[in-house]
Amino acid sequence: MREITKYYVESGVLANDRVSLEVKDNEIHALIGENGAGKSTLMKILYGLERADSGKILFRGKQVSITSPRDANALGIGMVQQHFRLIPQYTVTENVILGIEPTKRRILLDKGRARREVSAIAKKFSLNIDCSAPVGDLSVGQMQIVEIMKLLYRKASFLILDEPTSVLTRQEIDNLFGILKSFKKQGKTIVLITHKLDEVSEISERVTVLRHGKRVAVRDTSDTNPSELSRLMIGREVALHVERPELARGKPVYRLESITLREKGRNVPLLDRVTIEVHQHEIVGVAGVSGNGLSELEDVASGLRKVTEGHIFHNEEEITNLTSIELREMGLAYVPADRLFRGSSLQSSVTENMIICNHHYFIKRGILNGKKISQFVRELTEKYSIMGEPDVPIGTLSGGNIQKVILARELSSDTDFIIFAEPTWGLDVSSSEFVYRKIIELRSEGAGILLISSNLDEVMALSDTIVVMYKGRVVMYSENKPSLTKELIGEYMLGLRDDFREVQSVKDSRGVQS
Amino acid sequence: MHSPYSIPVLHNTIRIMTPFLFAAIGGLFTELAGMLNIALEGLMLIGAFFSVIFTAFTGNLFLGLTLGILSSVLVALIFGWISLYLKANIFITGLATNLLAPGLTTVLAFQIFGNKGVIRFENIPNLTHITIPIIRRIPLLNDILSGHNFLVYLSWLTVIIAAIVIYETPFGLRLRATGLNPRAIESYGLKPRRIQLAAILISGFTCGLGGSMLSLEMGAFVPNLTAGRGWIALVAIYLGSKRPLGIVIASFVFALTESISNYVQGITSVPADFILATPYMVTLLAMIGWSVWQYYRAKE
Repeated sequence: MREITKYYVESGVLANDRVSLEVKDNEIHALIGENGAGKSTLMKILYGLERADSGKILFRGKQVSITSPRDANALGIGMVQQHFRLIPQYTVTENVILGIEPTKRRILLDKGRARREVSAIAKKFSLNIDCSAPVGDLSVGQMQIVEIMKLLYRKASFLILDEPTSVLTRQEIDNLFGILKSFKKQGKTIVLITHKLDEVSEISERVTVLRHGKRVAVRDTSDTNPSELSRLMIGREVALHVERPELARGKPVYRLESITLREKGRNVPLLDRVTIEVHQHEIVGVAGVSGNGLSELEDVASGLRKVTEGHIFHNEEEITNLTSIELREMGLAYVPADRLFRGSSLQSSVTENMIICNHHYFIKRGILNGKKISQFVRELTEKYSIMGEPDVPIGTLSGGNIQKVILARELSSDTDFIIFAEPTWGLDVSSSEFVYRKIIELRSEGAGILLISSNLDEVMALSDTIVVMYKGRVVMYSENKPSLTKELIGEYMLGLRDDFREVQSVKDSRGVQS
Repeated sequence: MHSPYSIPVLHNTIRIMTPFLFAAIGGLFTELAGMLNIALEGLMLIGAFFSVIFTAFTGNLFLGLTLGILSSVLVALIFGWISLYLKANIFITGLATNLLAPGLTTVLAFQIFGNKGVIRFENIPNLTHITIPIIRRIPLLNDILSGHNFLVYLSWLTVIIAAIVIYETPFGLRLRATGLNPRAIESYGLKPRRIQLAAILISGFTCGLGGSMLSLEMGAFVPNLTAGRGWIALVAIYLGSKRPLGIVIASFVFALTESISNYVQGITSVPADFILATPYMVTLLAMIGWSVWQYYRAKE
């Protein structure tokens, strides 16, 4: 792939900026980068799910045009997407053959041949799977294998796997990697999208690193090491600077105490004894790679998911497992990561979205007071410079303006604690800056802020205290000090270090020196 | 089986069952493709009207039937196109079809015949009645199953073909997959809307057949001839657990109640309106019973 550029007009994100990728025949190539680095976009372009704005694709020396997965399949390119596309009620065989079913007498399904062909694939690649079992009865690891069998059945020789291990257990990962190695022996080429560095060294021969939509490095796996890759992935420089006035933090306003969250059927807890405390005038930034507990933390803190163990306090009052309405009444505000579905009602107007949580202020004798509402909305629209008429559905606004409406709503009532989850995800630069200014302003006014973000630059630029989560645990908890470099935090985020105590002592010794 | 009525009642049940069966089998296709197709009723009425009109005009039963079916397929095409490609809510478009059909047929009838009521045709050929040779010597079965018109047997054939298409062909596999997970279907490079449109056209075809049976059998068109049979067919799909055999059984039960009520009318003093309402009440009760059963099954 040469000089691929992809710009998402709707969100204003430059996902791929002249990215080139060379994959050699019969190699296992790892494509790594942080969330939003553009890995998946690049591979979706190769698989025909997205179209590049510019650049070209060469396959086996020839320039090709891939506009749909069918084109990709015809070239022998197959991709397993992050979210499975399977029919749970169908058997493994039916799932594999769907779309290119073998027939007899031209019109009838040849079930016998289908069964034989699919089991032959399972046998050839020693995939341990019951081809007549409904897919819904299988484990996640086996579903992954079914997805791969779909590609093999379509005679794919070039396989793209998008973060295949994110939902697998260790044994399933070992099994998958064994399978991938056997594919290589059979002459297949594999691209593995991942952000797990141990997997890169375990399985790949070469690795391409993307950062912020650009290719930053290509290495032979044998010539590199996890800490170099981590540096390449995350970068040395903090790309973002936000003016943050010096402020002494006040009394604690919010505390998560040893929070554990378990899910039925999963042995590993999603959150494991997480303790976080937020004070007045303090921004606590929680960083982590997605899939390590950030979104679960968001759900628990916002009251949308009940904790299994542990306690939550707000101004020393226990608020564990209260509903989100009760939390709102206590003065907690929440700006969710999923602003389109959780944060707003897309078909409702801007006005309706703004008053949805506090409409009881506007009720007079059981009827909403239109005058008061429009005045309220006009004030907020001006204050937050929202581009959009109050009466249009919020879904017609740009991402930045939707986020501003949500901010306006959440911050319009008196609040001393606000949860921000991925507050600038997908926003353009000016909207992001607006959000940052707002967060800093709230901090100056005395609120405590819990910032949950997979954007490390953002966490480092805004936070007074930085928390890093890995596999549902807090692996680092430290004041934001110059000694806390991006490289170091990156190593914690990627699970390369798990020595929190040492960092604290580093911090303490520096603290004594200064 | 000792009552003198039982054999004619059962014989009639087989006949009455046919329109239900046609509509329900077509509706099964749309149901499996993930659409609630309430337009069965309207499509049947269109088929009933046009097949009898065209038969009367051409004097040819086969030609009239074909054109009648084509009419309901055409309406199904418009209904499907608006629902799937113009993305209108299928419930609303289905409702529109059901409102359009009686209006359209009445207006056309008035324009052509100057009559908004029952239109009788003298020149409609009788539907060919068929005796099944194999069971001719088996007294009971012969009396019940044999001697119906060819549409009755065509409906049985349709059930068998439908079962084969649904369970034994690539189209059937894709059809059911569309209903289960349309997004997955897209990732396979298939077009879910095209499959859904095909299902709607099939329902138009079978509803056309079912409607035709009603009008051609009488050689007349009566306003609101279908009288809710399309709705009962929809219920039969659910009661039959969305399987061809289940639908046959459910249709049989509905037809049986209708057949019985037809006979009971003549021999009791219970008001006729009440008796004629029994098939609908049975439908209602069956639907409630089915929901309760589903609820408890889901609980376990």
